[in-house]
Amino acid sequence: MRGDWNFWFYLSMHRECNERLLARAGRMEWAELELSQQKEDIRIKRMADEVSGEVHRMKAFVRLSSLGSGALYGYLKPRHKIGETVCDHFARRNQGMMVLLGNGRESWMSYCRVGRIWREKGNGLGEGLERLKSALQIEDCRHNDAVPDNLDAEGIWQAYYDSQYCPERKNLALYRRHMPRRYQEAAGLRLVQNKMNATLEDFLSKG
Amino acid sequence: MRLVHSSMVTMQKMALLAMECRFDSLGLGAAEKAAGAKFSGAGEVEHEAASIEAAGHAPGGSPVEWMAGAVDKRKLAILGEGTRHDVCASTFSPRSRPLPGICHAFTQDGRCISLFKTLYTNLCSHQCGYCGNSAGCKSKSRGFSYTPEELARITLSLYRGNYIEGLFLSSGAGRDEERITERMIDTIRLLRQKHSFSGYIHLKILPGSSESHIHEAMMLADRVSINLEAASASHMSEICSTKSYESDILQRQRYIRRFMTKIMSEEGISILPAGQTTQMVVGAGSESDEEIFRRAVFEYGEIGVKRTYYSAFSPQRGTVLEERHAQPLWRERRLYQMDWLYRVYGFGKDEIRCAFDDNGFLNNSDPKQAIARDCLDLPLDPNTASYPQLLRVPGIGPKSAVRVLAWRKRQPIGSKKELAALGVQIKRASPFLKINGWIDGTLEMWQA
Repeated sequence: MRGDWNFWFYLSMHRECNERLLARAGRMEWAELELSQQKEDIRIKRMADEVSGEVHRMKAFVRLSSLGSGALYGYLKPRHKIGETVCDHFARRNQGMMVLLGNGRESWMSYCRVGRIWREKGNGLGEGLERLKSALQIEDCRHNDAVPDNLDAEGIWQAYYDSQYCPERKNLALYRRHMPRRYQEAAGLRLVQNKMNATLEDFLSKG
Repeated sequence: MRLVHSSMVTMQKMALLAMECRFDSLGLGAAEKAAGAKFSGAGEVEHEAASIEAAGHAPGGSPVEWMAGAVDKRKLAILGEGTRHDVCASTFSPRSRPLPGICHAFTQDGRCISLFKTLYTNLCSHQCGYCGNSAGCKSKSRGFSYTPEELARITLSLYRGNYIEGLFLSSGAGRDEERITERMIDTIRLLRQKHSFSGYIHLKILPGSSESHIHEAMMLADRVSINLEAASASHMSEICSTKSYESDILQRQRYIRRFMTKIMSEEGISILPAGQTTQMVVGAGSESDEEIFRRAVFEYGEIGVKRTYYSAFSPQRGTVLEERHAQPLWRERRLYQMDWLYRVYGFGKDEIRCAFDDNGFLNNSDPKQAIARDCLDLPLDPNTASYPQLLRVPGIGPKSAVRVLAWRKRQPIGSKKELAALGVQIKRASPFLKINGWIDGTLEMWQA
């Protein structure tokens, strides 16, 4: 049982959440909700679980690319209103770097420094990237030879990923259960079996 | 704290702040410094006799070329393959705020990838019959090795791109395990101190490493581990002729435990937040499951390992044990279930012994079911059973047992439907439960 789990926070990010549900959830403890057999409580529980699951998967599946040495960006098209939460997570993880996540319609930007977070919501990843490039004075984000960590991370990852597969343990059903297609799509993740080469344009044309 | 300004101001402010501290997390000072640093590239060793030092240098590879992405994919693949059979993928470390493990991908065998698991080098002087990198392996691939700088860069790059949560660094012993251990420690020191890397690090201690190196590694890593590989010294001699079970492995595990205790008592500092673990190859030697269980109990009790991992043996081409049959994966799974019963459910050693057959092996069935059939004399009433008693019923785990206890404080449990709503697996549990005086057990179900 998740005793200190802030289910209200996750519920509030559900796309179908309304004030009545939030008010009802606000009057309950998680332990109480978990044992309740009432239809509405079961729905609240399911909704909070759905959002928590999506947040968790997006923290795992979103891939970030470097934009110069001061910013990271990635594709994110979630089903629920979790963009800001996920973006904050990456900003905390990469303190001192701007993090931009988004899709064709909306985007989120966070910056974390010494525990303090700045945020901004935008109208799309393409627009956000353009503004970010001009703010950081970057001419072309694909040509940053001076950037010390400008490695081909995607290529390195693919070579490493392929090396980890044990054919004698093949279990595609388990693989599909752990990596549902809808989450891979929400994170803009190329299906890991395919070795296509995505470019910045791929991200920009999505959504 | 959330600040709301006009968007352009916020963006510019963020950009300025980011540009101010863009090298903080890299700790390099400036990109110019990085470009001038002496990075060596993707190297390989043609012959085992070649020194490890030579392995890191790419002929003609300039630092800028290396940084621009010229990482040898073949080396990545071969050194990555060397860790395929290391099972541990945990990234749980109370060093920072405890978070549930994040799995960044899954392989097509369903296993989680959360760490960059790699060997430092695949050169090895040990003669392990189960290992494709051992000195005696006839179809061994070419020798490769990273340099500390190269490995640190790759790890940082993958971490920043959110491909991994951290590094799992193992290695062949090379010609001198002390030298290789030194280079492995150099790698994690670079990550932690030079690049301020805050991700997770799991370092494999090589058999025979010195006490001082082990201490140094423990100060930098989240978790260290040394693989037992076999359940006893005699079984170890069946699969490896060059490692001493007592001095190369058990003694090193004791160093780790002793040093953790010493630092805690003398300086009040808790090091190695994720503790030490170990792993056994199941079925490479002739040990029974009961012998493996006895060793695991020893490891939890005497050595204080956090987890024991089990990896089912599969023969590697060109090795001494090539002709031996692969172990069925269910054996590994049943050992994990048994381990879970001991470690999480709090089953006693004597209870678990009921699950072994006369030869000391587990059958391909749930060990908890077998133990329940042997040890539960009468069906339990979920309204009166204690927490440990509920845990002994198949189909009831720690979560559902807690829910049952919480529910019955409000109202008695009167039906199987209620139990099912609390997360109990009714089909498995009902033969062992008595609800409202009604027993659902039949001879067939007890034997299921």
